[in-house]
Amino acid sequence: MRISAYGLAVDPPSGWEARIRRHPLALRPAGDGLRSHPVLHAADFALPEERGDFGSGAVETMKPSQAFIALIEYDPSSAATALFSSQVAVPLQVGAEDFSPQQLQRTIRGQAGTQRFFVDGGRAFCLYVVLGSMANRQHAAPRVNAVLSAIEIGPRAAPDLAELL
Amino acid sequence: MTALDGVQVAAIALLGVLVIGLLKSHAEILRQLHELGAGRGEDNGHAVPGGLALGGSNGAAAHDVAGRTPAGEAAVVAVRGVGHDTLLAFLSSGCLTCAGFWEALGAGGDLGLPADMRVVAVTKDPGEESESTIRGLSSGQTVVMSTQAWFDYEVPGSPYFVHVNATTGRVSGEGTASTWEQVVSLVSRAAADATRSSRGEERVDEELMAAGILPGDPSLYPAAPPGDDVPGS
Repeated sequence: MRISAYGLAVDPPSGWEARIRRHPLALRPAGDGLRSHPVLHAADFALPEERGDFGSGAVETMKPSQAFIALIEYDPSSAATALFSSQVAVPLQVGAEDFSPQQLQRTIRGQAGTQRFFVDGGRAFCLYVVLGSMANRQHAAPRVNAVLSAIEIGPRAAPDLAELL
Repeated sequence: MTALDGVQVAAIALLGVLVIGLLKSHAEILRQLHELGAGRGEDNGHAVPGGLALGGSNGAAAHDVAGRTPAGEAAVVAVRGVGHDTLLAFLSSGCLTCAGFWEALGAGGDLGLPADMRVVAVTKDPGEESESTIRGLSSGQTVVMSTQAWFDYEVPGSPYFVHVNATTGRVSGEGTASTWEQVVSLVSRAAADATRSSRGEERVDEELMAAGILPGDPSLYPAAPPGDDVPGS
């Protein structure tokens, strides 16, 4: 079932679930020049309601066979920085060799992760993928790629009125 | 003067009787309306079937649930091809019976369900339900606001519960209940039936293997009696 919001969409394969959100601006001071950017999460396990952008609260519950994907948008001004200068093509794909425990935001025994920073249509993103088991990466990478192929990045959504104040 | 006082007292007493009568009448009307379900928020007068029915392995095909969470996320929750059964609780904010279920779900702790079962509350779309009210009721519970899911599962009204078996991807039980204990009973019966069925198949397999009859053995597929049509020939 396809869902879309904030210029992102995903139609996850069977057994996967997904969320697209943008943090409430109430958490930011008005007129601070910052915008709240969208985050897409996908997982082949039940996503808890309380999750950090990079999966804290979710990855701790993963089984070795499971995977978690986060696509986090950054401010467009980041697009011109060296961090986002990689020539990554969309749809994104990952290989088993891309994963390592050192790529994890927070090291959890047995798990492995990978990160990519890229720009698409002027929008700056970080793709972050966590596997429940480094040893399972050969089997997990194709399953992750099936989800990545189902992600669409469209034009940036117009800012909320609250963001313009 | 005394006669006038008497008339006033009589008039006040008469008015008092009338007011009491009116209040009683009003209370009776409210009671009867309540019994008829007015103000409970059930949908469009559709009768919610009583009791809980088990669908077994022949239940309707399940659908993933897509919609919005009360926190404003776009969400699709998987119920097929996952490693756990799912209990979909179709609830609304206005139905009196639902209040007990929101409370039970929001209380956290042990709900009395199998350990690996996931509970997902499903309300109608934000256009038909108040997001802020549902957010206040959900208390960290997974809630998806999806009128489409109500159509997909042919939900007649709230509260309504659907148990999806992860292995078959089908509805293994559904119905309404007035207490959480009744829901737990439905799920326990469905789980017990599934376990019994699974154990029965395992026992037959074990006995056949002990007798030297392995999967694919020709004796498992007896020839059709003479004269019978063979399907597909």
